[in-house]
Amino acid sequence: MTKIKSVCIIDDDPITVFGIKKMLSLLDLAEEIKTYVNGKEAIDDISKRVKNQQTIPQVIFLDINMPIMDGWQFLEKFLELEVEEKIRINIVTSSIDPYDKQQWERFKEITHHLLEFKNKPIRKNDILEITKAA
Amino acid sequence: MLRGTPTVTLNYLVKQLPTATAFINKNYEVVHVSDKWINDFDFHSRDVIGRSLTELFGNIDKDWGKALKDCLKGVASGESVHQHIGADEEVQWFEWQNIPWYDEKENIIGIILQTEDVTERINVELQAEKLETLLAAKSEITDVGSWEFDLERNQLKWCEITKKIHEVVPTYEPNLDTAINFYKEGYGRNTIAMAFDNAIQKGEAYEVSCELITAKGNEITVIATGKPIFKKGKLIGLVGTFRDITPKIKSELKSKRQERHFKSIFNSSYQFTGILDTQGTFLEINETALLFSGLKEEEVVNKKFWDAYWWPIPDYVKEGLKEIIKAASEGEVMRSEIVVLDKDKNPIPVDFSLKPVYDEHGNIFSLLAEGRMIKEMVAARRKLKESEKKFRALYELSPTSYILSDFETGEILDFNSSFEKTTGYTREHLGKLKVQDILMTVSKTQLHRIIKEIESTNTFGPEEQEYIKKDGTKFPVLVSGSLVGNKKGRKLLWSTAQDISESKYTEAQLREEKRLLKTLINNLPLNVYIKDLESRKILVNKAELDYVGLKESDVIGKNDFDFYDKKSAQISREEDLEVINSRNPMLRKETINVKKDGTTTSFLSSKIPLVGSDNKVKGLIGISLDISDLKRKEDELHDLINVTSIQNKKLVNFAHIVSHNLRSHTANFSMLLDFLVSETDAEEKNRIIKMLMEASDNLLETLENLNEVVAISTNINLDKKPVCLFEKIQNVEKNLTAYLKNYNAVIINDVEEDLEVKAVPAYAESILMNFITNAIKYRNPMRKPVVRLTAETDGDYTVLSIKDNGLGIDLEEHGSKLFGMYKTFHENPDARGIGLYITKNQIEAMNGKITVDSEVGKGTTFKIYFNDKN
Repeated sequence: MTKIKSVCIIDDDPITVFGIKKMLSLLDLAEEIKTYVNGKEAIDDISKRVKNQQTIPQVIFLDINMPIMDGWQFLEKFLELEVEEKIRINIVTSSIDPYDKQQWERFKEITHHLLEFKNKPIRKNDILEITKAA
Repeated sequence: MLRGTPTVTLNYLVKQLPTATAFINKNYEVVHVSDKWINDFDFHSRDVIGRSLTELFGNIDKDWGKALKDCLKGVASGESVHQHIGADEEVQWFEWQNIPWYDEKENIIGIILQTEDVTERINVELQAEKLETLLAAKSEITDVGSWEFDLERNQLKWCEITKKIHEVVPTYEPNLDTAINFYKEGYGRNTIAMAFDNAIQKGEAYEVSCELITAKGNEITVIATGKPIFKKGKLIGLVGTFRDITPKIKSELKSKRQERHFKSIFNSSYQFTGILDTQGTFLEINETALLFSGLKEEEVVNKKFWDAYWWPIPDYVKEGLKEIIKAASEGEVMRSEIVVLDKDKNPIPVDFSLKPVYDEHGNIFSLLAEGRMIKEMVAARRKLKESEKKFRALYELSPTSYILSDFETGEILDFNSSFEKTTGYTREHLGKLKVQDILMTVSKTQLHRIIKEIESTNTFGPEEQEYIKKDGTKFPVLVSGSLVGNKKGRKLLWSTAQDISESKYTEAQLREEKRLLKTLINNLPLNVYIKDLESRKILVNKAELDYVGLKESDVIGKNDFDFYDKKSAQISREEDLEVINSRNPMLRKETINVKKDGTTTSFLSSKIPLVGSDNKVKGLIGISLDISDLKRKEDELHDLINVTSIQNKKLVNFAHIVSHNLRSHTANFSMLLDFLVSETDAEEKNRIIKMLMEASDNLLETLENLNEVVAISTNINLDKKPVCLFEKIQNVEKNLTAYLKNYNAVIINDVEEDLEVKAVPAYAESILMNFITNAIKYRNPMRKPVVRLTAETDGDYTVLSIKDNGLGIDLEEHGSKLFGMYKTFHENPDARGIGLYITKNQIEAMNGKITVDSEVGKGTTFKIYFNDKN
């Protein structure tokens, strides 16, 4: 099993971020873990990286309900970026609003990236499953 | 030269004999012949010697054959005269004598034929014989007279009849001159003189018809004949006849004229006429019949009557015709109407008759067939029959009573069965019944008036009267009459009487029905009206009148433009036209009528085309149900549904929020506890426990927030009171003094001091607090925060505007989430995303609403709508 070069976590909840981070390091799945507290921070950084042809995360953990820019807004922007590589994006939320499921379905249709939808809490087994190169 | 015959010398000798002599052998072949014989029989052209008698004279008849045979036996025949037809067909008479021809040995070797041409003698004898017979016969039987003139003695003899014809005395002795003088001077006399002269001079017989004048001066026409008499070739005199043909000429003239008349009548008659023999063969047919059948005379005459073209084909027709011909030829006169075919095969009815025609002896010698076209007659008769039948049927079957009465006496002479049925009188009462009996109730003045009316106009009525039945009961009738005169000058009155008790009853029933109908439509909770083609109201019920608010007389004849505003009236008129033109009813259409006073009424209207018995649209029937109340209720229901559905949406949304928020915390607990259990490092354990406590605090706060929201949403019976906005703003300002001072913020309270809104006081305070603190929380660090509050009225609402000069917000990006729970848009650590959510809920709980207007970098204006009505 090869390590993922770069994983990023976009979530405003520090406990969730802590948890995912902890599990990733316990399983030693990623070489590098980046965290952002909202979509805006994340997209700004990732855009810069794409522009500068730096490494971009191969796996993204994405929360939906966030201030300033939520998960769906981020995804909208992210898909606009020219990323040829197939990225795995794990949507991790505690929402059971059907609207969010619909959004997921919609985005899955229009992108070449791999979109997963996971409800919190995330367990170790889940992490193992969803932290792979797409 | 024949064998065994004498010499040439003999031959020569015979040749010169002066008498006609021929020597024939036993084979009847000529051996010697005299020139005279050859000459007499005109055999010049033939070589006679050696020829047999058969060759020369044809067959030898029995008598001659016998005579010749006898002669060969030695018996000479006596003299006999025989006729001979010469080569030129001329009749010749010869006196024959056959003598046996002996040779030197007294053997009979043939026959010597001696002949003498006696033609002339015979002719004279025959003539004389004929004349004599003729004269004798004629003199006796008819009125033919005879005369004789003896040339030698120059003597003229008249017989008695001739004398009678000349009307001379029996003793009168004529001579040539006196006889000729009887003839009418001129043509008659010249003709007879010339004929007589010719007879004398040339021996020519004559027969002339001339007029002569008798001794008594009568003019008659005679036929005079004359015939020369010769003796030995010499004229010896004349004989002749004399016949008075005056009656014959007269009758001839007459019959000629008659024939002409007959022919012209026969041919020009419009009848078809034919004359048949008793066997049914056509002898004659007239032109009319030929024209009719398109045939030519020769196609009919001599043909059988029953084979004629014009009979229809079936055999029984032919047989029938044979029958009637047989009957007619036995003396019966046949007559019947039959159908014949004209030249185009059209059947034509004909009055046909067949009559026997008798001669003077009473014998039937022909049949007269006549046919008269009776097409028009038949047609007219049929028409007459039909119309009579019709009249009869009408008269007898008519539900109207017909009464024929004597105008003067009132006596009833006839009536039809309807009269019997309605009155109970029967025909037995005829003669006893008078008009007065059935009109008993009519007053004298009335009767007088009717009589006057009839006398002046010959008619009366129709008018209502009462008839009395036989049983005494009365019934209403509609009577009219007309005066007719009969041949005897008697004045007769034809009256008709129609029993109208039924129609009277119906009328009453109709009136009752009408009244019921009127009551019905007047009590219907519907507006009912009838409009004509111009949309003018021609009938309205009470409900419609109540709605319009006018009397019936003010509505009838008016149209919608007189009651409603122009727009409503125009729409209504268009509906009317559509219904009238398309003939399709407009059913249950929701319409809105605005009256001139502005009152709006909702109707459920139907408009149905009114079609007359002639299938033309006469107008329309309108039925409208006032559904204004229903409409209002419906609108309320709509509002309620809207509110409910919004509320429902909100609840669902809230449920999602609750679930999300609670789940996120519990998920964290679960995760952290997982870590804790498996963690061995004490420091890490402490970190996790600290995080667990944080999570617990977060959960508590979340629960509090939710509680607050639930409190607002579930507090249905909000106690709205008038709240003075100005004062409330002042209070908030006072409570926030330190806060405001800290940020150097300014509140400008531009709300009118006495302005009151209906609100929950606590909510109003909370709302004001939230917006003012928000304005400062999201202030522009580059400038001193200024919050300005103003208020104005907008319909049912009082609108409070809170305007700041802060950061502003990108509404395009965040507008939809602005009032959402836990939505924050600025990187402000104090932002919890709950304030606006609660504010909005409070405003909505008070039936108000909130709007926002913002520009990034300039500031934001919130407008809070306080509902003043409810």
